[in-house]
Amino acid sequence: MGRKKKKASKPWCWYCNREFDDEKILIQHQKAKHFKCHICHKKLYTGPGLSIHCMQVHKEAIDKVPNSLPNRSNIEVEIYGMEGIPPEDVKEHEKQKTGGGKGSDSEDDEPAAKKKATPALGKVKPLGPGPSSVTQGILPTPMGHVPPGMYHPHMQMNMMPHFMQAPSFFHRMMMPGMRPLFPAVSVPVSTPSKPTFPAYSNATISAPPTTSSASGSDPKENGEVKPPAANSCPLVTATGAGSKIIHPPEDVSLEEIRARNIKYRPKPKPELQMTQTAPTMITPSTSQAEVAAHMSAAVAAARQQQAAAMRRPMMQPVVLPQPVRVGVPVSVPPVMGMLPVMPQFNLMRPLQPGMLLPGGVMPVGVFPGVVMPRYR
Amino acid sequence: MFNQLGGGSSNPNKDVEVASPPEDTVSAMEFSPPSVPQTFLVAGSWDCRVRCWEVEASGKTVPKAAQGMDGPILDVAWHDDGSKVFMASTDKSVKCWDLAANQTIQVAAHDAPINTCHWIKAPNYTCLMTASWDKTLKFWDTRSSVPIMTMNLNERCYCADVDYPMAVVGTADRGICLYTLEGKPAEFKRVESPLKYQHRCIAIFRDKKTKQPTGFALGSVEGRVAIQYVNPTNPKDNFTFKCHRSAGTTGGYQDIYAVNDIAFHPTHGTLATVGSDGSFSFWDKDARTKLKSSELLDQPLTKCAFNHNGQIFAYAVGYDWSKGHEHYNPNKKNFIFLRPCYDDLKPRST
Repeated sequence: MGRKKKKASKPWCWYCNREFDDEKILIQHQKAKHFKCHICHKKLYTGPGLSIHCMQVHKEAIDKVPNSLPNRSNIEVEIYGMEGIPPEDVKEHEKQKTGGGKGSDSEDDEPAAKKKATPALGKVKPLGPGPSSVTQGILPTPMGHVPPGMYHPHMQMNMMPHFMQAPSFFHRMMMPGMRPLFPAVSVPVSTPSKPTFPAYSNATISAPPTTSSASGSDPKENGEVKPPAANSCPLVTATGAGSKIIHPPEDVSLEEIRARNIKYRPKPKPELQMTQTAPTMITPSTSQAEVAAHMSAAVAAARQQQAAAMRRPMMQPVVLPQPVRVGVPVSVPPVMGMLPVMPQFNLMRPLQPGMLLPGGVMPVGVFPGVVMPRYR
Repeated sequence: MFNQLGGGSSNPNKDVEVASPPEDTVSAMEFSPPSVPQTFLVAGSWDCRVRCWEVEASGKTVPKAAQGMDGPILDVAWHDDGSKVFMASTDKSVKCWDLAANQTIQVAAHDAPINTCHWIKAPNYTCLMTASWDKTLKFWDTRSSVPIMTMNLNERCYCADVDYPMAVVGTADRGICLYTLEGKPAEFKRVESPLKYQHRCIAIFRDKKTKQPTGFALGSVEGRVAIQYVNPTNPKDNFTFKCHRSAGTTGGYQDIYAVNDIAFHPTHGTLATVGSDGSFSFWDKDARTKLKSSELLDQPLTKCAFNHNGQIFAYAVGYDWSKGHEHYNPNKKNFIFLRPCYDDLKPRST
């Protein structure tokens, strides 16, 4: 029993760094989370045990321990409870425990579905394949992948199993005297304490865009290079076992993705009276070319990001040709360019005047694409 | 109050359908402010147009006017006097639509599509706030072509809300920045996100007693809303809750949908969320309970709004791109539904 070490810390799971009050529970956890056969749900006792079971019974090779951290996924390692943990890992864990400051940022209201699976991608590289390469059928780790050395020191004891559903949670939550299911839900807004997930905290702290080489930069619209925030998660991936986020994989807003679609590109400026019913395929004008450049840059960036996420960070940022920034001022002479140049800017766009609101009569042609008769 | 005109699977909640809805997905929707006696609804759409309807007490909607821009509309906002509507577009401009004259005039510009626009009415100034994917936040005197003030955002703006004297902007990369508008706009503080997924919508709420803005609700693509106070008296005041997720698991997976919009009820202080899953829900954040959830529609709900006295809840139905362009069916009709909601949103027993 390696656990009766000096500080006698709580038993913890080597695979996911979660802590437990009792080693018995830890063993149960390991059997359920890490040593369970994904095919027949039989619970084995160790990683190698699981591997042998799958090979012999199902003829399937398992190369990683399910739900494990990326660097702890070795199926060969024999761990049972606290037994078998490499001494250096024990030390590291101790260090984390003591040094890590107030550890439990109690954010873990979320069950298994938690932490983006990707933040570590940029950093963890040497430690093992990213989430995308997790064997089919094996669910991503409950914690997501966390850069080494910044493990969540205190996993909440009462993490709900991930399959527990939301709908009823309010009721549970309200039940008096119950151990809070959502201890976590409240997030200290301005706790100065060290963030448990340093990677996350950068998000809002306006991390200066230093170290850009690390996780790559992605040229965005208007050619700016986005600072590679450590947590920039290029993908929206459902993390929890058994859940799927209905969103395109790219971590970009639906609107941005949609706006790339050729159908939605802004029309060239000069076109005055908008007669388009269905926004037509626009003939490239100067401004259009510019837009296109942006678009393709964005798309390329996205692709690249994605590709990079699939592979490893290393080969990420081949700097894309800066989108033709020159394009902007081009904005065709007539009518308001997008440049805030005084004289043109305030040009009024001549529209049918006089069709006013309350009870105003709609002149024909105001609503070209729309079925007129209905407008009275 | 309303005629029940509905029926059919596209309207399982039997709500009142707004006449002559947009040709494409609704991307923005606002009711007129209390300064106008009638109730008007404006909605911006991906079809590059903004439409205005008058909503009669019977629930009948009368299309009044429409204006177009050069790109899809991303946001709309009313001037506080109800005479004008601002429209933000992917064409990188915001235009002011003078409803009485039915004329538009450009009032703001960015280097990238403009994601949000909000009218700010302060005692000592008024201005238009715009936030864009060019990572800037700008404040405009609508008579000038240069912004009064430009502030940098860490990332592209994904959502914003204004309730004087507070403004909040949510960005890509899970950024949140608070602004104070008192005197003049100024950054107040950047807040660490309570959510772990992409921000999608944000709405400011007021304190029950003081009626002053005191926090915000933030929705993410991961079917979750965070209730966050600016200065929580107790850190436990902040919490998150799940919503817009499939009830059961289909094929071993639970589907988690984006929260597309959040709106607070103007008098009750309760809130409504709409999601990609095709449902809306009403919540009481103080009692931490769900007040109501709707029937599922066959398309996502993209936007929602309450009218100024909280009698009418409007929600827009249309494809939101959450399953990618492949799932876009241009022939599918888009809807806006209206629903009497005052009682449904009453807070739990107080």
